[in-house]
Amino acid sequence: MAFNPLDEQGLPLQAQFRNWNDLNVAPYDKDKVDPYTRTRVILMNGVEVEAIVFSHQFARNTDNPEIRNALALSRRVEQQQQKAVNGLNPGDQTPLETTIGFEQVAVDLTSWLARHEPDPMLKQALDFALLEDFDHLYRYANLYDLIDGGDATDLTGRLTEITPGRPTILEHRHPIDDVRGHYSTHTVDPLSRLHVMTIVAAEQNTMNFYMNHGTDWIEPIARGLYAEIAMIEEQHVTHYESLIDPLDTWLKQLVFHEYNEVYLYWSMLQQESDTRIRALWELHLDMEIGQLHAASALLRKFEGVDPEEILPPALPDVPLTFEPNKQYVRDILESQYDLRADGVRYVRLDELPDDHRYFEYQATVNAGGTPSETVIDETRSERGRDFRDESEGPNPIDSLRRMVEVKD
Amino acid sequence: MATLTPTKRSGAQSPATERFYVEPDLEMRTATLAELLPDSVDSAFVANLLSAMLTHERCGVHLYRSVAGRTTEPDARAKYEEFGQQTLRHVEILEQLIASAGGNPNYVSFYARAVEATNSRILESTFALAGSTDLLTQEMSMLDAVLLAETIDHANWTTVAAIAELLPEGPLRSAFEAAVDEVEAQEDEHLGWAKETRQQLVLQLVTP
Repeated sequence: MAFNPLDEQGLPLQAQFRNWNDLNVAPYDKDKVDPYTRTRVILMNGVEVEAIVFSHQFARNTDNPEIRNALALSRRVEQQQQKAVNGLNPGDQTPLETTIGFEQVAVDLTSWLARHEPDPMLKQALDFALLEDFDHLYRYANLYDLIDGGDATDLTGRLTEITPGRPTILEHRHPIDDVRGHYSTHTVDPLSRLHVMTIVAAEQNTMNFYMNHGTDWIEPIARGLYAEIAMIEEQHVTHYESLIDPLDTWLKQLVFHEYNEVYLYWSMLQQESDTRIRALWELHLDMEIGQLHAASALLRKFEGVDPEEILPPALPDVPLTFEPNKQYVRDILESQYDLRADGVRYVRLDELPDDHRYFEYQATVNAGGTPSETVIDETRSERGRDFRDESEGPNPIDSLRRMVEVKD
Repeated sequence: MATLTPTKRSGAQSPATERFYVEPDLEMRTATLAELLPDSVDSAFVANLLSAMLTHERCGVHLYRSVAGRTTEPDARAKYEEFGQQTLRHVEILEQLIASAGGNPNYVSFYARAVEATNSRILESTFALAGSTDLLTQEMSMLDAVLLAETIDHANWTTVAAIAELLPEGPLRSAFEAAVDEVEAQEDEHLGWAKETRQQLVLQLVTP
């Protein structure tokens, strides 16, 4: 049955404050947690962070007391929601283990969005960056093996393959080659809008995490790898945020943010296997509906726009789902491995002229060695092989296959 | 019933470029626009212009709803509500006019996007700085926004009348003329009221 959050009452915003005990939630058991519960926690933390950052930016662009007060109120609640969600991560889950969770989010979230994306240009944007995040998972899994002796499949549950994608060393582009075109706010499919907002939030939080956790290690290889991949996440945030139509006003963007949060909490609770965490998604769904009503009231009052004008009559039928996407990733890797960006266009590597800025930028940043390559070289040197989880067979790209097959 | 915000669901279409993504089925091509109107006018340009004019009317409805809800002046509120209703009718008239030419009223041209951007920023200027202004300034700001909107609106309908004269005799020209006939006097009144009210308010305050 169609679910229209505008028809639901939700939890009134004024009733949404919680006490410290509510925020200091018991974390999940990292050894028993469903890998996709971990990814749901990581995603929804990022979505709340985006809501908070957006609200702060909005507040800095107006001094209207009613709007500022409403933003302060909903932002305080979003902050509490963020604490309740992020608090589910256990203290014995190391930043590197969380990082592998981040990359599993990136792979299976991006794949799912691309598989369901109606707009071919937006799908292309997702597929393009998918291969890069897929490669990050491989690089971090090797770092985990190298410095912690850890097995990344204990974290991914073998739901996501671990093998090279578009190699990280090749992902470094000149900044202007990460700026994309954008959708039209009038013609965009409601699902596409939600997809783009979700991937922006997810990639932004990955960028923030690497920006702040890159110095958690003594080992230079770890610090170097985080610095390198953090720069790609900056590229990905630039890439994805470009896709949003800037024609929408601050208030419309606020309504779209709240709507997306409703959609995502509704999605998360459809598939959550942990009943305690499911209850949290349910509570937050109720809260987001209340926040959507508050944002809608501002839009109505100050812009004379009814939320029904800009929102679909119901949430999309399909909940955003974390599930394996192994064959999809392989297909995209096989067909788009050698894709590069040239301005707003995607081109094959051999189409780039020899004097393209891509090569100049590559030469600059990769001069003196590249951590994402070093981590593989060192793992091979230490272990006699790199770390992979290729449940569906060898890597589809010949040059990315192991030179000597290893019997596990 | 008038559409105030075109969406995919309401049949919105737009031109596409390599920097502006529109799903292939929803892309409006210049060749399609070029076939809508007789050769006596640049059909594609007029179609883009009408889309912009319709967007201006749609933004006008939003503007009047917003200021009617926020003004503290009962006389102004009554006018904003009255003009808002008339502007809603103007949206319907333009939608019908575009449809009668075989066009899509939910086509959003590049010019329409620019018009929407202008209008939304002007509307935003009436409330975004409410924390550092007084009530009088806020009323003036709302009135300024109405005057600016009605100035463009008046010019738009004068243009529609001029385009009608360029069309050959026939049902399409008659549709253009009928639209202008229904709207013209109201546009005169809207602009006249906004100019006069602003002047009266200012003069009231100028005089000690």
